[in-house]
Amino acid sequence: MTPQTPRTSKGSLRELLDEKFMSKLDGLDLLSRKILQGKLQGERRSKRRGTSAEFADHRPYVVGDDLRFIDWNIYGRLEQLFLKLFLEEQDLTLHVVLDVSGSMQSGDPPKDLFAKKLAAALAYVGLVNNNRVTLTAVADGIVAQLSNMRGRKYLPKLAGLLTTKAQGPSDFDNASRQLVSEWTATGVIVVISDFLLKEGFQEGLRRFVGKRSEVYAIQLLSPQEMSPELTGDLKLVDVEDDDTAEVTISRALLDYYKRNLNAYCNEVKDFCRRRGIVYALVDSGQSAENLVLTYLRTAGMLG
Amino acid sequence: MQWLAPMTAIYAAAAAVPLLVLLYFLKLKRRDQIISSTFLWRRAVQDLQVNAPFQRIRWSVLLLLQLLALAAILLALAQPVWLSSGGTAKRYVLLIDRSASMNATESGRSRLDTAKDQARTVVDSLRAGGLLSLRNEADRAMVVAFDTHPHVMCNFTSDKRQLKAAIEAIRPSDGRSCLSEAITVSCAFAQTSAEQADTVSMGPPAQVELFSDGRITDLEKIVAAPVELNYHCVGSQADNVAVVSLQARRSYERSEEVSVFAGLVNYGQDEADCDLQLSVDGNVRAVRPVSVPPASADGKPGSVSASYSLTHATSGVIELRQLRDDCLESDNAAWAILPPPKKLKVLLVTRGNLAVVPALRACPLERLDIKTPAEFEEMDHAAMSVEPHYDLIVLDNFVPSVLPKSRYLVFGRIPPSIGVSVTGDLTNQMIADWKSRHLVLRHVDLQNLFASRCRCMKLPRDAEILSESKDSPVMAIVRRDGSVFLLVSFDPMDTNWPFEPGFVMFCQNATAFLGMDAAQDSRSHRSVGQAIYIEGLPPAADATVHAPGGPSINTKCDAQGTLRYPDTARAGVYTVELGGDRAEHFAVNLLDAQESRIEPTSQITFSGKTIQAESSPPGPSNVELWPYLVALALALACVEWFVYNSKARL
Repeated sequence: MTPQTPRTSKGSLRELLDEKFMSKLDGLDLLSRKILQGKLQGERRSKRRGTSAEFADHRPYVVGDDLRFIDWNIYGRLEQLFLKLFLEEQDLTLHVVLDVSGSMQSGDPPKDLFAKKLAAALAYVGLVNNNRVTLTAVADGIVAQLSNMRGRKYLPKLAGLLTTKAQGPSDFDNASRQLVSEWTATGVIVVISDFLLKEGFQEGLRRFVGKRSEVYAIQLLSPQEMSPELTGDLKLVDVEDDDTAEVTISRALLDYYKRNLNAYCNEVKDFCRRRGIVYALVDSGQSAENLVLTYLRTAGMLG
Repeated sequence: MQWLAPMTAIYAAAAAVPLLVLLYFLKLKRRDQIISSTFLWRRAVQDLQVNAPFQRIRWSVLLLLQLLALAAILLALAQPVWLSSGGTAKRYVLLIDRSASMNATESGRSRLDTAKDQARTVVDSLRAGGLLSLRNEADRAMVVAFDTHPHVMCNFTSDKRQLKAAIEAIRPSDGRSCLSEAITVSCAFAQTSAEQADTVSMGPPAQVELFSDGRITDLEKIVAAPVELNYHCVGSQADNVAVVSLQARRSYERSEEVSVFAGLVNYGQDEADCDLQLSVDGNVRAVRPVSVPPASADGKPGSVSASYSLTHATSGVIELRQLRDDCLESDNAAWAILPPPKKLKVLLVTRGNLAVVPALRACPLERLDIKTPAEFEEMDHAAMSVEPHYDLIVLDNFVPSVLPKSRYLVFGRIPPSIGVSVTGDLTNQMIADWKSRHLVLRHVDLQNLFASRCRCMKLPRDAEILSESKDSPVMAIVRRDGSVFLLVSFDPMDTNWPFEPGFVMFCQNATAFLGMDAAQDSRSHRSVGQAIYIEGLPPAADATVHAPGGPSINTKCDAQGTLRYPDTARAGVYTVELGGDRAEHFAVNLLDAQESRIEPTSQITFSGKTIQAESSPPGPSNVELWPYLVALALALACVEWFVYNSKARL
């Protein structure tokens, strides 16, 4: 799918993030457990040696070097001229991958609302801290994308993308392939999805891990998915592919469903754990603010 | 192959087959529910199905329904019977009274119909033999309808349909109730071959179920019947006004004048006012209001008589009908056949009799010829048989060699060829008993009759005895070969009878009975059940009998030229068409005070014992429950099919 530039929508970000929440987000910054390479001089510790205040290494003086960086302590000792090298502060690239397939519109309240709130909060934190933020809405491919946003001026556009309606089938494998081919910089990848993927989630996540980025997988499930309150004789219709299943709800059937759901979530969790992906299972009925302000800080993603 | 209940199967198939087909096409409507993904649900359904056989049995509506259906079928196979009467198989004799009193209608239904319903209930309660049992222990029953004579409608059988058809075939009759012959017949049928061979002990006696109103005339004749009887009393009404006597006679002096005498009785507790209508050949000649007094406290009915005088110069059918509506229609009318006016031609064969000749001369005859025996023998007897010149032949102590077909008044010597044997002479005989109401002996007092000498007669079984002494019948009527013989076993000259006024009256009655009314009197009045017969017809001649209220029946005379029609069960006028313009009418009347007394009796005396009527009509018993259980199993199977279709499908 050809990514579309979302139209701007003034004030729509406040529909997702209220003033109070935003003020709390202003005090947060993205953290990285790894030293990741950015592109511009940001506020991140980078592996590159630059002109920051943090000493990194020495090298012999050659004619033309800046005399201000001569390490006079070493000259006093060794009576040779050496230059101090400092770590360069690079920006953190944040990739937020938002699942907008049809399954995300289910639930009461709908899961995509929670997902969009979460994506908005993470993107906001990234933008206000001058990090590079790429927000991509995916379903069976890339539905919409805002790339390389930096600074507050991109907040309106951010809000515009987050109005993308959750619909259509999902193809996480195809979407991840498209994303990975575009990304050049490593960074933090946050995948927000329900991961109810008939075609599987493994290949998609594996690609993200292959980018040597810090990957977060947030699985979003509605209370109705976790504890269905269905009764009677039903024809279940899959919202994405119109697949049907005729069931008669019984206590035993519900028990088996929950068992399978738990097993599936554990499967996702184990896959993520083995590959160093930070996994979180979230109930969309909870508050997105709590997730951002407590769990993600505890997980080390925000600080 | 015999289908015992084909209609039941047809009705069940008509209900079940469309229902099953409908269920086959019926698809349970499911509510659509949009969810995020179905793949976890599919896994759950698969897991449920895969793991179910290995788990302990859980509650299932389908299992319960199947078990219930199976239980119903198993119970049906056991053929349970509700209200079962235990014991070995029994035999029942259903005696259904179809006499005149059973035609009384109450609440729109006749007593006979009520009795038939009760008999059908008993038939339904018979225990059927188990289809799968090793022994056939079905109850059996036979159906006997009786009035004057019994009619076996169905022999012992356990086939309920056959028994019910036999009950349904019972037709009402206007005859009297006579039970003794019915009991005799029933006992004869109830005997088993083992009993007859006296090789094994007798089985249980047959149970007789009597359905009647209790108006049975010959109960005292039944002695020590080897059966047990249950009496089911039918009916409740007692009020009835009936015509119990009717006579129509032409005057001897003026034959065109007709006198009609009728008697009515009232069995009700109130005086009955009714109109008495006299008709001749369907034309109403007189209607007279009559008040019949009520019955007395001891049950004797109130009675009244009426007489009419009319002029009718030709033959005709007289009908007397009381127009008041009551329960029993059969006794509201009576009929009499009026013969054409006629004076008799009489031949007296005598050697001279000082008593008989004057007595006959005193009778209003058209002609009285007196011949000697020799002269009589010279007459053409064959011609006399074919075309009688005389209405009556009086034989005075003379037995001719050939007896032409005619009507005879015989004094003294009895012709031997008529089935009467004379076993000897008797002396000094007084009359012990006589039928004072008989037409021949009306107004004839035989109390003082003394016969110094008379013959001891041994009569055939069909002879009608008019009077008898202590040792022998004295007067009798015998019918043989188309001839009628009024026998007097003594010579009047051997008695004091000629000095009695009754002798002349006897001669007048006898000539009228034999000459004018003998042939017609059988037409003038016959009782219900008495056969109609006409003699002197061409052999094998065709005839058509029109019964009252029934279809016409074609019949034939026998080789002797006698036409016999026995089915006179209903009162009314029977017309016999003999070909050409010749038709003869016969009046068959009820005229039975005993039958007209329709008050049911709550107890009867049977075989010396007093038997009370059953307190309530027979109720259903031995109700077979297997049809209901099969229907229940069928219903449960349909419900189970419905529930099965509503279960989850993969």
